[in-house]
Amino acid sequence: MYPSGGISATIHANRLRAEGMGSKEQALHFSNQDYEALKQECLDSGCLFEDPCFPAEPPSLGFKELAPYSSKTRDVEWKRPTELTDDPQFIVGGATRTDICQGALGDCWLLAAIASLTLNERLLHRVVPHGQSFQDDYAGIFHFQFWQFGEWVDVVIDDRLPVKDGEIMFVHSAEGNEFWSALLEKAYAKLNGSYEALSGGSTTEGFEDFTGGVSEMYELRKAPKDLHRIIGKALDRGSLLGCSIDITSAFDMEAVTFKKLVKGHAYSVTGLKEVDFRGNMERLIRIRNPWGQVEWTGAWSDNSPEWDEVDPSEREDLHLQMEDGEFWMSFSEFKRQFSRLEICNLTPDALSEDSLGHWNTMKFYGAWRRGSTAGGCRNHPNTFWINPQYKITLLEEDDDPEDDEVACSFLVALMQKDRRRYRRHGQDMHTIGFALYEIPEEYRGCQNVHLKKDFFLKHSSCARSETFINLREVSTRLRLPPGEYLVVPSTFEPSKEADFVLRVFTEKQSETEELDEEISADLGDDDEITEDDIDDSFKSMFAQLAGEDMEISIQELRTILNRVLSRHKDLKTDGFSVESCRTMVNLMDKDGSARLGLVEFQILWNKIRKWLVIFRDFDLDKSGAMSSYEMRLAVEAAGFKLNNRLNQILVARYAENEMIDFDNFICCLVKLEAMFRYFQQFDKEGSGEAEMNISEWLYLTMCG
Amino acid sequence: QFVPSDPPPPRRPVQYAEHNESNEEKQFRRVFQQLAGDDMEVSPSELMNILNRIVTKHQDLKTEGFSIESCRSMVAVMDEDSTGKLGFHEFKHLWDNIKKWQAMYKTYDSDSSGFISADELPNAFRAAGFPLNDQLFSMIIRRYSDDNGNLDFDNYIGCLVRLDAMCRAFKTLDRDNNGTIKVNVQEWLQLTMYS
Repeated sequence: MYPSGGISATIHANRLRAEGMGSKEQALHFSNQDYEALKQECLDSGCLFEDPCFPAEPPSLGFKELAPYSSKTRDVEWKRPTELTDDPQFIVGGATRTDICQGALGDCWLLAAIASLTLNERLLHRVVPHGQSFQDDYAGIFHFQFWQFGEWVDVVIDDRLPVKDGEIMFVHSAEGNEFWSALLEKAYAKLNGSYEALSGGSTTEGFEDFTGGVSEMYELRKAPKDLHRIIGKALDRGSLLGCSIDITSAFDMEAVTFKKLVKGHAYSVTGLKEVDFRGNMERLIRIRNPWGQVEWTGAWSDNSPEWDEVDPSEREDLHLQMEDGEFWMSFSEFKRQFSRLEICNLTPDALSEDSLGHWNTMKFYGAWRRGSTAGGCRNHPNTFWINPQYKITLLEEDDDPEDDEVACSFLVALMQKDRRRYRRHGQDMHTIGFALYEIPEEYRGCQNVHLKKDFFLKHSSCARSETFINLREVSTRLRLPPGEYLVVPSTFEPSKEADFVLRVFTEKQSETEELDEEISADLGDDDEITEDDIDDSFKSMFAQLAGEDMEISIQELRTILNRVLSRHKDLKTDGFSVESCRTMVNLMDKDGSARLGLVEFQILWNKIRKWLVIFRDFDLDKSGAMSSYEMRLAVEAAGFKLNNRLNQILVARYAENEMIDFDNFICCLVKLEAMFRYFQQFDKEGSGEAEMNISEWLYLTMCG
Repeated sequence: QFVPSDPPPPRRPVQYAEHNESNEEKQFRRVFQQLAGDDMEVSPSELMNILNRIVTKHQDLKTEGFSIESCRSMVAVMDEDSTGKLGFHEFKHLWDNIKKWQAMYKTYDSDSSGFISADELPNAFRAAGFPLNDQLFSMIIRRYSDDNGNLDFDNYIGCLVRLDAMCRAFKTLDRDNNGTIKVNVQEWLQLTMYS
C-alpha cells in the first residue's frame, strides 16, 4: 500500500468498508499483519514468530510507571509459555473464572471485561478465534479480534510474555499452564500501544472493545424508577451487566465491607426474579463476583433465613448454596450497597441466538471540520446547523404490556474517534453530545435536505444526550413516539475537529440515514455563446486588453482581474495570484492555446460578474470576505448542490482562518464547474460513474 | 451526575513509534515539531515559509518563491483526512520527495540556466519515475512553464508533487490493476477539488 495516499486512501478505505471489511466476518488486519500468512512463513522456515510491531522490549511495557529502566521493569525477561512450563495449554475446557487472576497492572476493569467473555461461548470466540494451540502447528504466533471505533480488527502477536522472578507479570491463570487470558491481554496492549495504557481504563470501554456493543451507565443513587425493567430487558437481550462500589480513596481499593462486598471491584449482574415473601412480591437480583469466591452475607445471601419463607418449588431453581461467587440480594438493598450499574448492550452480529430479541443497529462515520462542519452545540445558533445531520424513522412502538404510553425506546451513542492518533501527544477528548428534533411536516419523507439555520432558531429539541461530556462515548436511552426525527451530533464549542461514529439502536424496526444533499449542478449553457452574441463595447474592451495577438495571456488576465478588484474597494482580498489565473485559463481554454480568446473570455467574465453578486449577498457582515460557514449556501446559490464531505474539502482547500476571500471563491467555482463538466464528459449515459485510463486521468487532473 | 473516571492515559502507537526511530528520523521529528508549532500540524503557510527559506539558500534554483496558492495545493494532495494541514507522516513523505527532486533539478538543468527548459523536462520527469507520453508532457509544459517554455523551481516542485499524488491516487483506486478506474461524482470531486 502507498504510504501517504491523500484523499484517495480515504476513498479506498470507504470502498473496502462498503464491501464489508471491518465487519465481523472480515476483520481488518492491524498494522497489515496477516495471521495465516505469517504463521505459514514460520512453519515453513521452522522458526518461532517474533513480532516487529510490538517487540519484546521495555518500551512495549509502558511509558511512566512501567517506563524502561523503572524499578518495576528493570529485570523483566520475555519468555514463551513453552519456556515456562513443559505442558502449556491455550484453553482448557472453555474459559473459566480461574483463568483470570489479576497481575501487577491496575486493570481490574479488564478482568471484568475478560470475565464477561467467559459468560458466553459465542462472545469468547468472537475475540479468541478457534484453532489456536501450543501443540499442533505451534509457531509462537497467536491472534485476537477486537472492536475499535466501529470496526473489527485482527491483532497478531508473538507469545513472548513479560516475566519477573519467574512469574508472569500480568493476567495469568491460577494453575499457571493456561495462557489464553495472558495472550489476549498482550494483544489488547499492542492495540493500545503498551501494557501501561491498559491501567485505569473504564469497564464500559473494555466491554465495548470486546463485544462491539454500546454501554449505558446508571448512578444507583439517582436510578430511574423503572431501572428493574431496564435490567430485566437487558438480561433478556443477553447484554452484559456490571456493577461496582465506588472507592473513596486509593487504599480502599478492593477493601471488603462488613457484609463481604468488595469495593472498587467489577461484579457482574446475572439474574432478576420476583418471589412471594410474607405475602407480597419481593424483587431479588443475582450478582456474581468474577473471583468465584467472597460472597455477600446479608439478607437473601446463600444461607440467610429469608429463603425458608419462600415456597419450596420457587426456592429450588433459584437458591444455590455453593461458594461459587454468585449470590442473591434484595433489589432495594442492591441500590443502597452498590454505586454504579453499567450495561453493555450487544448488537445482533455479536449475539446471533435467535431466542434473544436484540437491537437493530445503524452505524454512521462522520467528521467535524473547522470552518465547515464543526458547528458546536445549540448555544451557537449561527453555526449549529452546519453539523452533520442524521434522520431516524421510528416505525413501531414497543410491545411492552406494562406501559400504556405509545413510545419506541431506542439508544443513541456518539463516540469520538481518536483522530489524531498518529500526530499528537496526549489524548485530548472533546466535549461531545447530541440533540434530537422532530422533523416538521414539510420535510417528512424526503431525504436530501440539510435543515438550515432558521429551522433550529424556530424549533427546540425534543430530546438530547443527558449531558455534553469529554468521554470517549456519550450514550443515552430515549423514548419517543413513532415518527421522523433528526439527530445532530456536535462538540460543545464550534471549530473543534474530530471524526466520530454515531450508532443508533432501536428495539423495533426503524430506518436511519444521513440527511444530506444530493450532489448536482445546473451548468449554464456556456457553449451556446458565439461571437455575434457579444456586444461591441465588450469587444472593444477585449481588443484593448488582449493586445495585437487578440488573445488574453495569463499575465494579462491577472492584470485585468486585479484592476477590477481595485475598483471594488469593499472586497478585502490579496488579489488574483499567477497560480490561480493559470488554473482559470487552463480550465476555460477550449482550444489548448493556453490563452483566452474573445468567447472564452466573455464566458469567464459573465461568471465572475454573476458570482460577485452572490459573494456580496453572502458576506453578511460586509467584512469584504465571506465566513466559511456561509460557503455552503453561496455555492448552492451559484447552482452547485454539494454534501457535507465536499463542503468540508472546499473549505479546507480555499478558506483561511474560517474566511474565504473573493479571489479564492472565484477560483473554487471556476474549478468546480469545470470538474462537473469533465465528469459529464466521461459519464455520457449518466450512469453516475465516470471511467478513465491513466492518461485521461492525468490530463484532467494535472491541468486543474 | 456521573463523574467519569479519568480517561485512560493516551494509548497510542506514536509513543511506541517514537522509542524505535533511528537517529535520522528523531532529528527529522525535531525539525517537524519546531516547524509545525503547537498544533503539531504543518499548514500551507508554514510549508511556504520553510520552502522559501530553503530556496533563498540555493541561488542556483531560479524561482520567485513558492506562492501560498501552490502550497495549499501541495498540502491538499497529501492530506488524508481533509483537515487542511499535514501530520508527521504525510509531511515526511512530501519532504523526502522534495529533497529527492531538488537534487535531480540540478542534474537535469544541463545548460545550468537555473530552469528546466522544455527539452530538458521529459528526461527529468522520466528520471523522477514519470514516463509520460508527449501529449501529457506538452500539456504540463503549457500548464506549468513560462512563456518561453522554462520551468522554474517552485513550479517544477509543485508539478511533481501533484503528478506523484495523482499517480498514486490512480494506483490506489485501480485495485484490480486493469489500467482504468471508475469513480462516482462525489469521489471525482473529492479527488479533483481537493488538490
